[in-house]
Amino acid sequence: MKLITRFIIIYLTITVIVLGIGGVISYELIKTEVDKELQFEFMERIDRVAYLIERGRDFHRSRRGREIEGDQNLIIERLDYEVEPRIEVKDTLIWHDRLEQNESNVKVSAYRNINGESYYISTYGAMIESDDITEAVVKTFLWILGLQILGAIGIGYFVSGPLFKPFRESLKKIKRFKLQEKQYIPAEETGVVEFNEMNAFVEEMTRKAVSDYENLKEFAENASHEIQTPLAIARGKLELLSETELNEEQYSYVDSLERTVKKLSRLSESLALLTKIDNHEFDNGKTVNISEFIEESISQFSEFLALRNLSLETSVEENVEVYIHPVLADILWTNLFQNAIKHNIDGGTIKIKLTREKLSISNTGRKPTVDPDKLFERFQKADQSSDSIGLGLSIIKRIVEQNDYTIAYSYSDGWHTIEILLNGVKGNQLQN
Amino acid sequence: MKILIVEDNTELLQNMVTYLEREGYRCERAASYDEGFDKVMSYTYDAVLIDIMLPGGNGLQLLRELKSVRPETGTIIISAKNSLDDKVEGLDLGADDYLTKPFQLPELQARIKAVNRRNNLGGKEIIRINEISLNTQTREVFVNDTLVDLTPKEYDLMLYFVSNKNRVLSKQNIAEHLWGDYVDQLDNLDFVYQHIKNLRKKLVKNGAEDYIESIYSIGYKLNDRLSRA
Repeated sequence: MKLITRFIIIYLTITVIVLGIGGVISYELIKTEVDKELQFEFMERIDRVAYLIERGRDFHRSRRGREIEGDQNLIIERLDYEVEPRIEVKDTLIWHDRLEQNESNVKVSAYRNINGESYYISTYGAMIESDDITEAVVKTFLWILGLQILGAIGIGYFVSGPLFKPFRESLKKIKRFKLQEKQYIPAEETGVVEFNEMNAFVEEMTRKAVSDYENLKEFAENASHEIQTPLAIARGKLELLSETELNEEQYSYVDSLERTVKKLSRLSESLALLTKIDNHEFDNGKTVNISEFIEESISQFSEFLALRNLSLETSVEENVEVYIHPVLADILWTNLFQNAIKHNIDGGTIKIKLTREKLSISNTGRKPTVDPDKLFERFQKADQSSDSIGLGLSIIKRIVEQNDYTIAYSYSDGWHTIEILLNGVKGNQLQN
Repeated sequence: MKILIVEDNTELLQNMVTYLEREGYRCERAASYDEGFDKVMSYTYDAVLIDIMLPGGNGLQLLRELKSVRPETGTIIISAKNSLDDKVEGLDLGADDYLTKPFQLPELQARIKAVNRRNNLGGKEIIRINEISLNTQTREVFVNDTLVDLTPKEYDLMLYFVSNKNRVLSKQNIAEHLWGDYVDQLDNLDFVYQHIKNLRKKLVKNGAEDYIESIYSIGYKLNDRLSRA
């Protein structure tokens, strides 16, 4: 739900509650005020009747003098007993003929001693029917509510429009922010304190993220270079050691150490390569004829194919050109091909298919033990015990991403297939 | 042969010196840019090994200076950075070869010999091991003047052995020399064994002694001082 929708809902809910309470209060206030006026009016009328009686006007002809003074509800009775003069004000329900319901009326009754006789004078009535009050109040308040809704929607449009524009702009920039581009988000003056604070914070945060990222990258690159010199020393020492008189056991240790050192060095080289790709050091591509590229590499790999007795089926369209850094093209293809050899079974097959849209390489092999989605993550190995360092596929993936290609891996019926959609055609079903 | 090694890491320097001196090379050392500059300006060397990252300056600059006064000197750049730009620049400046750390000492030695061959012998050299001779220009191997039919890989292997004769070369080492970056594939190094077996067979068939010794089936050594009855 949008913030502004939520705001309007809360606002209107409160408005309805407030108007409801306000309506009840208004009704009560109006009614009280009207009743008070009515009381005064009735008392004055009674006083007038009393005055007329005092003056000798005789109301006795009609015991219930309805016509008197134009007041149909006036009642004058002479009482046979002594009364204490007093006035009583009551709310009473009177049957209303036309509305066919009981109506709340004000009734004022007075007991008076006039010229030595006791009288009961009373009248009742309602200036406005309570239904009418309710109706008026409800109508008024519905009007107010209607205007409030219009106002709220208007404010909503304004708030989500011009008022929140700086917020949306900032949000757009944050969404577009890519750490690899190393561009922090500069804070813009918005004229609103909260937005300014937010923008300042975003600037500070992105600056920090960018600088941390750079430091990390630099560290990773330096570390992987710095590590090569000690490794070279270790390697040299092992080679010198292997020239001394060693027995078989000692020599096997030296050999195993040599391999470990080599593996370590490969590992740090691969990490350095990933870092370089991330650092956009290979952004200047050029047009590479991958058809030729693949044909050439096949001869280079032929020995390895022969060793494992692998057969190769190729279907390579001629002169397929892509725009890529040649070094990356080499690494990408070498890794793919090596992968297909490494994870193959002896006597298996490798299929290479290249069209203008798509490069796919399939190989026979055992069912993967790793979740295919995780296959492209760093240090994921199909076989944990294997000698590989587990960076090949993540290097492939980084190169693919860097060049806006799409890569997908699938396994079915003993075939592992890696497909790369070329020319930045963003695949949908193949999107990994 | 006189070699100058410009490398600031003393341990690495020591490794190279020890290995190369066993081969009979005379090695001089320089541990900084200034020291290196001083030496290349004052003396002539058959080969100069230059590390790129040096205290006091860049190895590529030193290479530039060296090439300006003695362009005929064989030069090999040694770098911790597997950087294509450095490599291209180094080779453009006239370096003969480029080695990335951590390199193998037998590989270094083979490269020095190749550089020397190219620069001082015009690429022509006949290397002799008793009855075997290698023509480095035509890439042919003869046993007592009989041409041995070797594949290019087998020739490379033979040359590598000859460049590092009487030294132990592990299978790993040989694999890296022959296949470089593709060595990742060689999970089992039996491939090396296959090549060596074929090479030995061909040499012996053509009447040569079997000079290639297997060392505990982990490494190999070309032993020309073989004393077999």
